[in-house]
Amino acid sequence: MSGISYSEILKLVAPEMLVSLAALAVLAIDLLVMREAPQRYRFWTGAAFAGLGCGLAIAWLLAMNPPPHSMSAGLSLLQGTYADDVLVRLVKVALLVMTLFTLAISMESNFTDHIGEYLALILLATVGMMFLVSSENLLMVFISLELTSLSLYILTAFNKRNVESAEAALKYFLFGGMSAAFTLFGLSLVYGLAGSIQFSEIYSKLHAAKIDTLLLAAIVMTVIGFGFKIAAVPFHLWAPDAYQGAPTPSAAFIASGSKVASFFIFAKLMMQAFAGAEGNGAWRHFTPGWLPVVATVAACSMLLGNLAAIVQGNVKRLLAYSAIAHAGYALLGLLSNSQQGMSSLIYYIVTYGLTVLGAFGVVAIVEERTGDASISSFAGLGRRQPLLGLCMMVFMLSLAGIPPLAGFFGKFYLFTAAIGAGKDMGMLWLVIFAIAMSAVSLYYYLQVLKQIYVVPAVEDSRPIVVPVSSRIILSLLALVVVVLGCAPELLLGRLITAIKLASHQ
Amino acid sequence: MSDYLFYIFAALTVICGALVIINKNPINSAMFLVLSIASMAGLFVLLHAFFLAAVQVLVYAGAVMVLFLFVIMLLDLKEEQRRKINTFGAVTGVASVAAIGYVFYQSIRNTPLPNAVAHSEGDTVVLGKLLFTDYVLPFEILSILLLVAMVGVILLSKKDLK
Repeated sequence: MSGISYSEILKLVAPEMLVSLAALAVLAIDLLVMREAPQRYRFWTGAAFAGLGCGLAIAWLLAMNPPPHSMSAGLSLLQGTYADDVLVRLVKVALLVMTLFTLAISMESNFTDHIGEYLALILLATVGMMFLVSSENLLMVFISLELTSLSLYILTAFNKRNVESAEAALKYFLFGGMSAAFTLFGLSLVYGLAGSIQFSEIYSKLHAAKIDTLLLAAIVMTVIGFGFKIAAVPFHLWAPDAYQGAPTPSAAFIASGSKVASFFIFAKLMMQAFAGAEGNGAWRHFTPGWLPVVATVAACSMLLGNLAAIVQGNVKRLLAYSAIAHAGYALLGLLSNSQQGMSSLIYYIVTYGLTVLGAFGVVAIVEERTGDASISSFAGLGRRQPLLGLCMMVFMLSLAGIPPLAGFFGKFYLFTAAIGAGKDMGMLWLVIFAIAMSAVSLYYYLQVLKQIYVVPAVEDSRPIVVPVSSRIILSLLALVVVVLGCAPELLLGRLITAIKLASHQ
Repeated sequence: MSDYLFYIFAALTVICGALVIINKNPINSAMFLVLSIASMAGLFVLLHAFFLAAVQVLVYAGAVMVLFLFVIMLLDLKEEQRRKINTFGAVTGVASVAAIGYVFYQSIRNTPLPNAVAHSEGDTVVLGKLLFTDYVLPFEILSILLLVAMVGVILLSKKDLK
């Protein structure tokens, strides 16, 4: 034991502890006290406790900043199973904020009677993501990834009145199990080659050595596993079904929180542990390493995600394909393989998560009122519920990357980082491809907006009644998207300082 | 000697694993799974991880498999016996497994492997100390994972009246 007592460990993992305790409290309260209460009160009480836990964890993370043990540099404890620095804390705060919004948009839904379990599973998935974000150890990465995935499988299957939900969860589970096997295989090969499961030791063992074929096989296996988590082509097959079949708040959570955590740890693993094995991803100058692998995956994701999204008739499915395309763009940040790349990746994926949460929030309301989430059920939304229409416009335009919204700046910064990376602008081919594909993506986002503002509502054009809480939350999300687009330094400045501090370890 | 034993156990694990999938009768599949798990325990013994081997036999080959058999008996899977093997799936599956196997064979052959880390005897005292010092966090997270699994199973298998 590296000279650290249990009480110190407890103090370090306090945010995770708080969220786990909140999960247990929500379970117990719902089971013991609220059993007979009407559904609405149960949801409100449970969400209040869950939100309290997340809020306390956020407060802890921000108040204890910088990490207690040293002023600037982070620390990596217990064989790298728990790393803590300013960057990790920022990402954790972002995760908790997304959990809060997920709780908020699920409050008005009534797809399940098992409210305590639902809220507790969201919180426990968050605990998994938080541990995932702060791991610098392959074992810890795998275990927390499994905790997250397992909770998400169950959240997908939560709507027991709908067969699609069960089918989606089964597909998600089978693909997930398969990809976990690949990840584990890849990670164990890395362990075999490096003789350690700590990122820093893997780096020191591998960066000097020649890149041999077994290491390449291990890297490909690892990329397969993470490619599944971030829904990149060709490991995306679960995503459209899972997004469509899952209850909408669960789908929002899968699309936001789990993406942020997986992208962060994927980038960290590649940039830190495999830092000597990049290879070269420049056009016509491919040399073996992880860059060309990730570049191929990114190009495929952008191509297939954007083209398949065009023909979708269901908004949840459309958002799934758009998520695949966005995974492709975000991988550009990883491909830059620099500090700037890391900050652009985190900024992009956090703003994307917030935007997509909002979009799913609107979809959830429309789905509840009209019965399904097909594009045509959005017809006339701009008149029936102007605020909702306006929010959806902000989210869609941000996803398409229109200034001055957050999506535009995220893409801009991402592409700049990718162009500046490497020598002779090696990633230029992929950036040009990405820009072309973003132009394509505008088409299907505008299709949704066309339904909202141009096409008149078919049968009943009565205004949709939306609860005040949903209105506040969706407007807040739209506001965040606009503000982060107009003043990106709010988040980006913090990210850049945090990354600088973290790299000085 | 231990080299030969390794190949025997490894081959047994793989063959029994394949038989689990190929077999049409679920009970036979479960029995082959027991064999596969038991030969994996043999592999652990060869790595001097005696405790792990014992746990593997006790928990997996013993307890978990009994539960498996119970469930199979309770579910009364007659449909499954008439299942036809999907030719397309079988051919593509075997082809991709062969391709992956070939990649690994070539890459392992072409890679100078580092010498195996000198392994200590996997006794319970060392293991316990590690689990409660350096690896206390993964150990605790696993308990959360089991809680999630438990909640999930009860939730999904319970019949909703509405």
